[in-house]
Parts: sequence; C-alpha cells; structure tokens
Amino acid sequence: MKFIYNYKVLIVLLFTFLSCKLYKKDFDNPVDYIANDDLGVDAPALVFYPKTQTLNQNEVVKIESVIVFHPDSTESFVGMHLQIQFPNTLLELDTIKPGLFITDTSNTTPLFTYSFDGDNVIDIYTYFLSETKLNIEGTGHIADIIFNSISTGSDSIYYDLDDCQMIKINDDEIQIMGKRGAEIIIQ
Amino acid sequence: MLKIIIPFIFVNLLSSMNQEPTYLVLNHFDKDIPQAEKLLVENFNNSKFEFDAALENIFTDLDSYDNPASSHMDMMKELGEKYKVSFILLNKIEHKEDRFVLDGLLFNTRSGGLIHRRKIDLKQYLDGQINELIMWVGNTLGVQEKEWQKNRESILFNDPEELTYDKTPMGAAIRSLIAPGWGQAYSNKKTSAGVWFGVEASLSLAFILSYLNYDKSAKGFLSNTDLYHQTDDEKLVAKHRAAAEKDWGNHIIYSRLAIALASATSTGWVSNSIHAWVFGPRPYTNIYQEWDSSSELNKG
Repeated sequence: MKFIYNYKVLIVLLFTFLSCKLYKKDFDNPVDYIANDDLGVDAPALVFYPKTQTLNQNEVVKIESVIVFHPDSTESFVGMHLQIQFPNTLLELDTIKPGLFITDTSNTTPLFTYSFDGDNVIDIYTYFLSETKLNIEGTGHIADIIFNSISTGSDSIYYDLDDCQMIKINDDEIQIMGKRGAEIIIQ
Repeated sequence: MLKIIIPFIFVNLLSSMNQEPTYLVLNHFDKDIPQAEKLLVENFNNSKFEFDAALENIFTDLDSYDNPASSHMDMMKELGEKYKVSFILLNKIEHKEDRFVLDGLLFNTRSGGLIHRRKIDLKQYLDGQINELIMWVGNTLGVQEKEWQKNRESILFNDPEELTYDKTPMGAAIRSLIAPGWGQAYSNKKTSAGVWFGVEASLSLAFILSYLNYDKSAKGFLSNTDLYHQTDDEKLVAKHRAAAEKDWGNHIIYSRLAIALASATSTGWVSNSIHAWVFGPRPYTNIYQEWDSSSELNKG
C-alpha cells in the first residue's frame, strides 16, 4: 500500500515537473510599432515609455516621450511641439530634459524649451540643431519628463494630439497619426 | 447313448473354460527389478506363468525386420512346444537417465506370430517399472486395476489449482510496468523484450529531447520578452521581439510534440505491461508429442 502511495506521488510529481505550460504572447512595448498597430495606434505615433509605472509616494517619476515611426515609412523632421497633460493630484512637475534622439546621442545641443501652465499642461518645444545633419529620421527619444509623486492613486499622462506638431526642415507638417498615454500608479 | 454323450461334452466344455492361459515370461531388464516375477504371479493368479531367465538377447533386432510380427514364428512355435505354453511374453526394460523404456512383446505359440506389442518411454516414478510391467501384462490379459493407474498418475501434477508457479503473468506485467521489456525477458521472450525496450527507449528519448527543447524555448521566450519590455531602443525592441516570437513558436511545437510523445510512451508502456501479462508465463494446457519422422506409420 505504501509502495502504491509512493508510486502515485511520484507520478504526480513527474507530471507537475514535466507539465508543458503554454505562454501567451505579450508584446506591448510602446516603442514597438507592431504592438501599437495591433492596438490601433497608427504610426507615426507619440508614446510614453514605459507604459506603466508603479512607485511609492515621494519618489521621482521619469517618463520618456518618444516618437515612433513605421520603419518602412519614416520621414525626416527637425522640430516638434508636444502638449502633455498629467494628473496634478498625483504628480508634481520637476523638470524636463531633451532626449537622446533630439540631441543626436548627446552630439548636438538642440533648441529645447518648455512651458507649464501651473496646473497640468506642459508644452515642449524642440528644434534639432546640428553642424553636420539637417534633420533626424525615425523612431526616437524626444524628451525626459521628470515628476515627483505627491499622493497615492493611479491616473494617466497623455498627449493632447490636437496641439502636437511635427515639422520638416521646410516647415511642412508631418501628420501625427496616433498616441499612447502612460499609467502612473502611486502606492 | 445321448445320455452318455451330453455329460461328456459338458465336462469337456467346462474343463476347456476353466483352462488357465499359460505364459512363458522372458524378462530382460538392464537393472535388477526385485520381486518382478513374484508380483506378476500374485496379481494374475488366474494365469499360469513360466519364467526362464536363461533365454537372453533374443529379438534385439526385431525393429530391423520388414515384418516383425512374423519374423520369429518358428522359434516361437518351438518354444511353445518346449515349455508347453500358449503365449510367450517378452519384457525388456532399459533405463536412460531419469526415464525408462518398456518394450513388451506378446507372441502366440500356436501361430508363432507377434500378436501384441507395447513400447513406452516414461519418466521414472516410485516402483514405476514394476507398475508399468503389471499394467502391460494386465493389458494382454484384459485386467486393469485402478490402483495401477493411480500409481502411474503420481508422475502427473495432482491439481493445477494447488500448483505454485515460480513465474506468473502478473509478475511479468509488474516487471514490464517498471521497465519495458523486463516482463517479456522474464517470460524468456528475448526478441519481444528487445523490441519493447527499443521502442519505449526511443519514444522516451524523443519525449525527453522534445521536453528539453520546449523548456529551452519557453525560457528563451520569457527572457526575450523581459528584454523586449525593458528597452526603449527600437532596434533592440525589434530584435528581442523577433527572438521571442521564434521561441514562442518553438515552445508551442515542442510542447505538442512532447505531449504526443508522452502519450505514445505511456500508452506503449501500459500496452507493454498488458502484453507481458497476456503472453506471460503460464502452464501448458496442450502438450503435443514431437513428430517422429522415422516412424513406419508416418512413412505409410
């Protein structure tokens, strides 16, 4: 009897150990144009990276603003205007810094400025300046927005696409087709 | 006149009915069988036996004759007249390891022909030689005692239900459940054991390889998915996504393959055990005599 019991335990352990779990695909990186396309967000799109952050109160919250192009239909651009709304009940704006893409990986110093309405709207204005290149092309990191978390809760930070703009060197506008917000959870 | 003839015929008829058959018994044994002659007389007291041990080595070549029944007719007639007997009974017993061969010949001295012969090859049992001799003589006289038959049956198994077998079908099944082919090997079926072991070993190996590939793919998928989510570099995102997609596809294929192979292996394993039980060691219920191609009957 003891032999049979041990035998059953061994079988259960073997099945548990050797069970073939099937995983679901979870490709949802905002920088991934395919994942955005699957969500109905067409390129070029303005997104935040990472898409979700969970932090404690009084911690620094850093969010990257990123422009995502489809690799087969990239367009060169030089300037951008981004209008961002954030939950001021949770976050307090600290500072905004230019991203690696707009600085050509820290090789140039772009024209980069921003305005804050004192409430929850941030306007970022940037223009690519370089002695060797006229413009930049493709997916890239435009700005780092840094907040302080001031209270607990969860909310989203998002673009106001009506007031966002991307221009070529000849001032022609490139239509921004999509946007993705980011979720902030303060515990 | 009739009154004289009828009693005379009746007395003659009565005397002929009471006439005991007389036998000359020639026992040729390669080993001494004590009290053989005495037991023959005791068991068949209605018959009269004459014994002569001096007549030896006759009919050693009986089987070489085309017609053994009539090959020594003159000699039999002469012996019949000499000993005043109606039959000559020649009994030969030869021992071969744990067996013995009884060759019994019955001749009629009036015709000199061989009228009855019994040749048996038996495993030795207690007092088997004398018992078989008595049964043979009893057969020629039309007398059979149950006790003699019982003695012969002592070399057979008493009751199959009471037998304890060293090897059983269940023993074979359990062995095959532990290790495929073991039960068949236990039943002395070496080829079957090799085939089962080979098939199950191949299936098990294929299953293990599929599972290891599944495990590798699944871990690769999780690892690449993590790297995919942890970077904001579009090139790295594309690279890790492609790798994760490939690993995901592989982990699905190998998972299905591993499940199919595991099913085949386990089904085969159980079938192997059932096969070991079905074809496991059992006592023979039908025992056939080996075909004797040299037999005269088969030639005819």
